[in-house]
Amino acid sequence: MKISISYPPIVNDLGQKAMVSQNRNVQFFKKPTYLLPVVYAQAATWLKELGHQVYWDDGNAQLKSYNKWVEDLVAWKPEVIVFEATTPVMKFYWSMIDYVKEKLPEAIIIMTGYHSMRKPEETLLKCNADMVIRSSHVDFMLSRIVPYIENNKNWRLTLSLEGLLIRMNGKELRSTGNFRQVEPLDRSPIIDRDLVRWGDYAYENGNFLQTPGTYATSVIRDCMFGKCTFCRYNGPDLTFSLMSVQRSLDEYEDLIKNKGVREIFDDSGVWYRGKEAREFAQGIIDRGLHKMGCYFGINTRFEYLDEETIKLLGKANFRFVLLGYEAADEETLARLNKGYQLQHVESCLNWLTQYGMHPHLTIMVGYYWQTQEMLDKTVSEVKRLMFSGLARTLQVTLCTPLDYTPYHQECIDNKVLLTDDYNDFDMSKLIVKTPIPHAQYYKAVKEMYSIAFDPRFIWRQIMFLRTMQKKDWQFLFTYGVRAIRRVRQHIFNLTVNNA
Amino acid sequence: MKNYQVLDIIHLTTSVCKIKTERPDSLIYAGQCFNVGVPGDSVNREYSMYSSANADYLEFLVRVLEEGHVSPLLQRLKVGDFLEIDGPYGQFILREPENQSLRYVFLGTGTGIAPFRSFVKTYPKINYQIIHGIRYPEEQYDKSDYIDGKYVSCISKNDAGSPSRRVTDYLLENPIDKDSVVYLCGNKNMIIDVFEILRDQQVPGNNIFTEVFF
Repeated sequence: MKISISYPPIVNDLGQKAMVSQNRNVQFFKKPTYLLPVVYAQAATWLKELGHQVYWDDGNAQLKSYNKWVEDLVAWKPEVIVFEATTPVMKFYWSMIDYVKEKLPEAIIIMTGYHSMRKPEETLLKCNADMVIRSSHVDFMLSRIVPYIENNKNWRLTLSLEGLLIRMNGKELRSTGNFRQVEPLDRSPIIDRDLVRWGDYAYENGNFLQTPGTYATSVIRDCMFGKCTFCRYNGPDLTFSLMSVQRSLDEYEDLIKNKGVREIFDDSGVWYRGKEAREFAQGIIDRGLHKMGCYFGINTRFEYLDEETIKLLGKANFRFVLLGYEAADEETLARLNKGYQLQHVESCLNWLTQYGMHPHLTIMVGYYWQTQEMLDKTVSEVKRLMFSGLARTLQVTLCTPLDYTPYHQECIDNKVLLTDDYNDFDMSKLIVKTPIPHAQYYKAVKEMYSIAFDPRFIWRQIMFLRTMQKKDWQFLFTYGVRAIRRVRQHIFNLTVNNA
Repeated sequence: MKNYQVLDIIHLTTSVCKIKTERPDSLIYAGQCFNVGVPGDSVNREYSMYSSANADYLEFLVRVLEEGHVSPLLQRLKVGDFLEIDGPYGQFILREPENQSLRYVFLGTGTGIAPFRSFVKTYPKINYQIIHGIRYPEEQYDKSDYIDGKYVSCISKNDAGSPSRRVTDYLLENPIDKDSVVYLCGNKNMIIDVFEILRDQQVPGNNIFTEVFF
């Protein structure tokens, strides 16, 4: 069959592009970062291996205009089109799908993504898509669905694979129940990088200190903790699946030796910990990959990695370590189910810094309960961590309820949502009632991003040069210049609505 | 600081212990998990509760991993020591515990039985069957807590003259009623294999809930 995995380019009135791909909240950026949607790339690879024709159609990363993207898609005449979307672009997708369906009436349109997963009926009622995959294991699902459709004309009636909502005819829908929560990740293929045009994603990514960089096949899908209330990896039907260490190491070796990759990031909700983390780092060292000038990056949680493991990661040339530091008050952490205690934040950051890594903090502001006191505490703690060199970079986002996560549902139940227009959920403004004026949160965002220009921060980065580590020099002179551009963009994006 | 005193620690086998602690003052649903760590260590791990949600204490079933960091520290705890406990978290809980017409099947491997004991202790009137996959007979932790006939162990390394079997063997020999509500807790391979068997036995995906152990 001819299958297209498609991401339409979406541009707003300010000329900013919406970044839609797995694992991320949609935000509009003038100078976007292109992230490889890893699970969809595995799906594309798998379908190709099964003998299907696959069209990797990322209109964003391929720098197409919307019209050009539609034109190319229609000209290719796919029999199956797979889309992914989340809350802020749902309305766009509904109308886009109807338009594509008009142009390609025979094509079977499959909708995926965490919003449709939670609201599958809404998706099929609001547009002419043919099916919603409710599972996050899109690769496994497509590898079963496509061959079935190919061999069964009556598939709408007979396809029994669990985790689907299928349009029968007109408005009649058929559900096949809950999906398989755990899949054997080792059976999903390692990404065919050429098929998904990996070079399109290798340079424009603010988190890469060196390029070309790339995203590895995630070793954990979705998140082994999976309890944070604001996160889409949280739900009664979700747990996590895990890929073997050796398989991941094989991929890293291939990327470094055959593709010349110089920075690899694994965007698993939370990467390995304990034995697996040590086995991976040791594997990198044993294979000599730590001496090939490639940095490695991961997401982790506070209180997940012990000092011995972090030391080994440092030796293996890990650099970028992303940690959710959602707030600096215990009440917020408890409400968000973060599962760690503030008193341990510093030890973890200390170890990471001591062993040569660059901790990156992800902070959120604008929870519907966040008082001025809570906000001030977060800002002052973030400053302290950044000025003392315990964290090297940060990103601040406005906490936006998305995709019917527990936090989203809580906002609905507590009647604190200020809008139900999905377009307003693009993280460019606060959309919940808060105890203090929204302007205070925007001010805090600005203050935290401005840390990058503070002489105390810059001085601390200069002090790091004494370590004589290449990555610290790169950090100051390469990344620093790039960071200024990105910080300006973030401040603009997150404060543009603060008239 | 969320530190809670250790009230008791029982070493059930050389590698598994049962730790009883003070209970956090919060609403707890049977089967939820907590993040547990030793004060000052700055590392924690998730453990499902083993005790009743109504008890005035918490219990955890801890398997000591040879290459683990937290579990060996937990094994060395003494009565009177403190633990850092965060939680409860999670939605691996019974949806309709008051509905006695539902037939629950709880299927776990090793210490994956923990949330199921919590269910049974909290809701003694539920209609349940526990299928417990273990390696050795001594891993039938607190077997006497379950009603006679409601606990089945599948021992993979049975040296007591009885045949060895795995939970998958048991399920193939004893198909599950398709209207059962099934909870799976344990390692991913068991869950993947069991899910396949359950679907073959016509148990709908909506009736299967999972919690994976790392």
